Amino acid sequence: MKVRFWGVRGSFPVPGKQTNRYGGNTSCVEVEVAGHAPIVIDAGTGLRQLGKRLVRNEFRDGNGLVHMLISHTHWDHIQGLPYFSPLYSEGNELQIYARQPGDTHLGAVFAHQNDGPYFPVPLASLKARVQFNELLEGQQFDIGDVKVRCTRLNHPWIAMAYRLDYGGKSVVYCSDTAPFRDILLEHEFIATPPSAAVPLDKQHEIQLRMMREKLVDLCRGVDFLIYDTQFTPEEYEAKPHWGHSTPDDAIAIAREAGAKVLCLFHHAPARTDDQQDAILATYKHLLRDDDLELVCAAEGMVVDLAEVGS
Amino acid sequence: MRLDVWGVRGSIPAPGPSTNRYGGNTPCLSIIDSKGHLCVIDMGTGVVPLGTAVLQNALPIEDDFGGGKGKATVLLSHGHWDHIQGFPFFAPVFIPGNTLNIYGNARTSDRVEAVLEGQMNPQFSPIYTLKNLGATIKFEGVRERQCFRVSNLEICSMELPHGETSALSFQIKEDGKTLIYASDAGYPAEGAPDAIVEFYRGADVLVHDSTYTPEEQEERRHRGLSSYVDAAAVAIRAEVGKLVLFHYDQDHSDDMVDENVRKCAQELERRGAGQIEVVGAFEGMTLEI
Ligand SMILES: [Zn+2]
Ligand SMILES: [Zn+2]
Ligand SMILES: [Zn+2]
Repeated sequence: MKVRFWGVRGSFPVPGKQTNRYGGNTSCVEVEVAGHAPIVIDAGTGLRQLGKRLVRNEFRDGNGLVHMLISHTHWDHIQGLPYFSPLYSEGNELQIYARQPGDTHLGAVFAHQNDGPYFPVPLASLKARVQFNELLEGQQFDIGDVKVRCTRLNHPWIAMAYRLDYGGKSVVYCSDTAPFRDILLEHEFIATPPSAAVPLDKQHEIQLRMMREKLVDLCRGVDFLIYDTQFTPEEYEAKPHWGHSTPDDAIAIAREAGAKVLCLFHHAPARTDDQQDAILATYKHLLRDDDLELVCAAEGMVVDLAEVGS
Repeated sequence: MRLDVWGVRGSIPAPGPSTNRYGGNTPCLSIIDSKGHLCVIDMGTGVVPLGTAVLQNALPIEDDFGGGKGKATVLLSHGHWDHIQGFPFFAPVFIPGNTLNIYGNARTSDRVEAVLEGQMNPQFSPIYTLKNLGATIKFEGVRERQCFRVSNLEICSMELPHGETSALSFQIKEDGKTLIYASDAGYPAEGAPDAIVEFYRGADVLVHDSTYTPEEQEERRHRGLSSYVDAAAVAIRAEVGKLVLFHYDQDHSDDMVDENVRKCAQELERRGAGQIEVVGAFEGMTLEI
């Protein structure tokens, strides 16, 4: 099993010299299993380049199947979909998996992006077959020979983390989430950070603790953990209600779960390559005597899980 | 008036080393008139660095946007993603007291609001609704051939065919100088209709869609975008002073854009219009008009 990064940026795509090395495309990760249909996690702008690769192969003749797990439908996680070339060939098939959105159908949520006046080709007139699979929190299912599990995260309008297991190797994708201590993020709009003087609601505290336990459980012994680390500790202090974590939060979860490699992901749009280098260096130093290995996601990076922990 | 270019890419932002020189952000221009009023044209991702520049006081703008005393005009050609996707990340809209007057391609102000509201829906955006933005946002529907005045600028609109929909072109005048913004223009194969040519006539600067090469245009005419040859042809008919190529295909590298600008200059020369200067718009470009 291999993990390939097509987009690593959070919030919105950021072209320019300052993102050349880590990449400016929004979230998109491919999980490759030899002889298996590609599995894509999230459909940010990075998806466009993946689509260009796919249409050079079986997708050109309309014989392609791709599975796509969506963490949540914020723009930076779905905005590449209308520009995914395989959708424009008859016979190709796209299976989309995402959390059941509550008050509407998943298909209706995705259709909005392709509707007028935003985009010229409605979802219903795409040549490829697009099917939606609505997931419940904690659901387990198979994509071919790959076992998939999911659990919910602490993020406005709720995101899902996914674990994929195949041939004794495993990867977890955990984006986007706030840590599980200061504020519960669900459907309510929260405009300002919670006041330090007001203690966290008891019920919320219990919910957050359970959410965290389930995430640690999902990450138990995983080979490769991809984690939203958009914020520095200072940025988190100012914006705990935005629903993103720091490397410290990710390290705490990775350690508790006994993950082998932690991969920093969903980089802040304003973060330059040099700043990202500095963040990675700081935390690598912190973990110098630790079993946990730390890496940082960059566009084009490929990780062969066969080489992890061996 | 002063023109600044913040985003030049069509369809979808195109990050990466191959777009560093012209830029990978989607369409956004700013005009600053002699009174220091800010007028934004389209809000692709280029509007994000514009927002940063505004708050850093890096532009000759009269209003204090950082202090919540700014009033900006926004002209939207149409609602395709590449022309509105930067709006939720335009920093001045988060500062209470600022005002944005948004003129959009729709019959009613409600319709313009609905397009931008649909982008903020909680399924897609942590902002949930336009009402959560700190700034006051006002909407105005603009129809074809409508003229209005903001600050010292005379602005008129014209509908351009754009596939199965339309995009607005804007004519912006100050002190006898004219700029035309014409992005996402898909003329019929025989060329732009006369009314559109008249609208562009004699402009000092024509910023024009040049998404494709002529070869690409052969296969993609139905998509409603121009090639650099279409841009050259209409610039000659309208006798403009300067042609600025704009809205590049997301797959065109800097070297390809260089090549297209060069071929466009040759095309103008070949048709006996070598007096029209042609340049390729790039992020960071500034023109005093
Ligand atoms: Zn995100
Ligand atoms: Zn466009
Ligand atoms: Zn368009």
